[in-house]
Amino acid sequence: MIDVDRVMREIEDDVRRARRKRLLARGGAAEYRDADLYEHVDIVLRRALEARDHGALLLPDFLSSDPDWQLTTHLRFSSHRPVVGPVLIFIKRRLLLPLTRWLYEYSLENFRRQQKLNTILLACIEELAIENAKLRKGLEGVEGQERREGQERPEGREGTHA
Amino acid sequence: MKIACVVHRYGTDFAGGSEAHCRHIAERLAAHHDVTVLTTCAKDHISWRNEYPAGETRVESVRVRRFPVARQRSLNRFKDASDLAFSGTASEAEQIEWFRENGPDVPELLAFLRERGHEFDRVLFWAFRYAEVYFGLPLVADRSILVPTAEEDPLIRMEVLAPFFSLPAAFVFLTPEEQALIERRLAGPLPPSIIVGSGLEPAGPRPLLRLEALGITKPFVLYLGRVDPNKGCEALMQHFVRFKAEHDTAVQLVMAGPVNMPIPEHPGIKALGFVDDQVREALLTGASLLVVPSRFESLSLVLLEGWNHGLAALVNGHCSVLKGQALRANGALYYHNYDEFARALEYLLANGSVTTELGRQGLDYVEREYRWPSVIEKIEDLLAQLQVQEVRRAR
Repeated sequence: MIDVDRVMREIEDDVRRARRKRLLARGGAAEYRDADLYEHVDIVLRRALEARDHGALLLPDFLSSDPDWQLTTHLRFSSHRPVVGPVLIFIKRRLLLPLTRWLYEYSLENFRRQQKLNTILLACIEELAIENAKLRKGLEGVEGQERREGQERPEGREGTHA
Repeated sequence: MKIACVVHRYGTDFAGGSEAHCRHIAERLAAHHDVTVLTTCAKDHISWRNEYPAGETRVESVRVRRFPVARQRSLNRFKDASDLAFSGTASEAEQIEWFRENGPDVPELLAFLRERGHEFDRVLFWAFRYAEVYFGLPLVADRSILVPTAEEDPLIRMEVLAPFFSLPAAFVFLTPEEQALIERRLAGPLPPSIIVGSGLEPAGPRPLLRLEALGITKPFVLYLGRVDPNKGCEALMQHFVRFKAEHDTAVQLVMAGPVNMPIPEHPGIKALGFVDDQVREALLTGASLLVVPSRFESLSLVLLEGWNHGLAALVNGHCSVLKGQALRANGALYYHNYDEFARALEYLLANGSVTTELGRQGLDYVEREYRWPSVIEKIEDLLAQLQVQEVRRAR
């Protein structure tokens, strides 16, 4: 019986090793000489890339109410002129847009790629923030434990062997 | 039981997709129930042009009622509506407009459902993305069963879909991943549902056709289906050209299916265009492995078909359905980027016995989960469960 999960872990390990070697050869971060540390970085960034739902990220949600932050990749035709407005919209939609559609679609494709990259970067930031929050929580737990242990220790005990 | 099946296109011309899924199920249900298929006169899913005559007809053993499409799809209007709908800032009205522009626009089918939908005990709908389902299902919600064929594409995030998905009386899902995707969009609990996938007939005897006559030499990796950037073919061909440049190997990539994009001039890539069943069978029998590069799949019949022929596969790991199927069946490896693609392909080509075993495990999985009798049995159980619920409610 071949276990795909096991085979894939071997393949992913091979790929991780090869990539680390390649990065170091190109002058990548010196910290990557530590294979364990590199593995942690790899896991965090891959989680941002592959495991997170890119449609439900925190930062874009924070920014969603501010139109200045939104990359507008679509066209909305409108005019504030009461009488000639509909004529202008008709000209834009039916005459100008068909003539310039090739350029519009070319740029749109690049905007989409940019938007995808932005989303991935935001996902990476969120993953790091989650990682940071988890570490902070863990640290606070350890500090709390140490405080409790300090309070429970009988007074003057430190000096008994002195 | 009187059952209606609603689908955007219907006929023996459609070998795959939700159309074929609907036809196979309708034909098998018709053996025990009074089944009517409600569909359009369209053959082409891009324009929705009317090609079949309107009215009642029979396709194989099933009664089919075709309704004319009132308005062909304008691709420019559809593109503009898509840009707006998926921008993340679309209003409810703009999101609903997307379904109108996607079509098919069949007002007579909607009127039929409104006026005569209550005559059916159950109305099954295929593929929520099409207009006749989005606007038709709410008209007979109490007796509706939705086969969503949902993929992890931007459409699934539309806000107007949350109330829509809470309407059906039951769901038929193709994979556990699809069920999870819909469950995440639901406000309340999931109504009765089953995961059935699709049924396959056992593969026939080995075909006699010689692939050398088509310029194909072994070993070769097979891609089967529409050659289209949306199916991940652009990245696949880029990966493969790079793989050939970095590895001393005679392996070929054979692309079999209608071509919708430029194919790079490379001696290692062979594009056959549309192939008939005989060639298809010969390819599935002769290939070293199947590759499925699509990011968005709700089931991937091609993957199941490959396994049905005992063929191991290499699939896109970004698609949770493909990755899930690969792990459940133990029949395929997966990749997320070029490095993993190259390493996995190298591994599969170098370890023939492992590749053969993966294919055999894939076939075992198809035998366990994807034979028609077990698929239809699950659907019959769901129909019976709904009937029991109805009787209890009536008391």
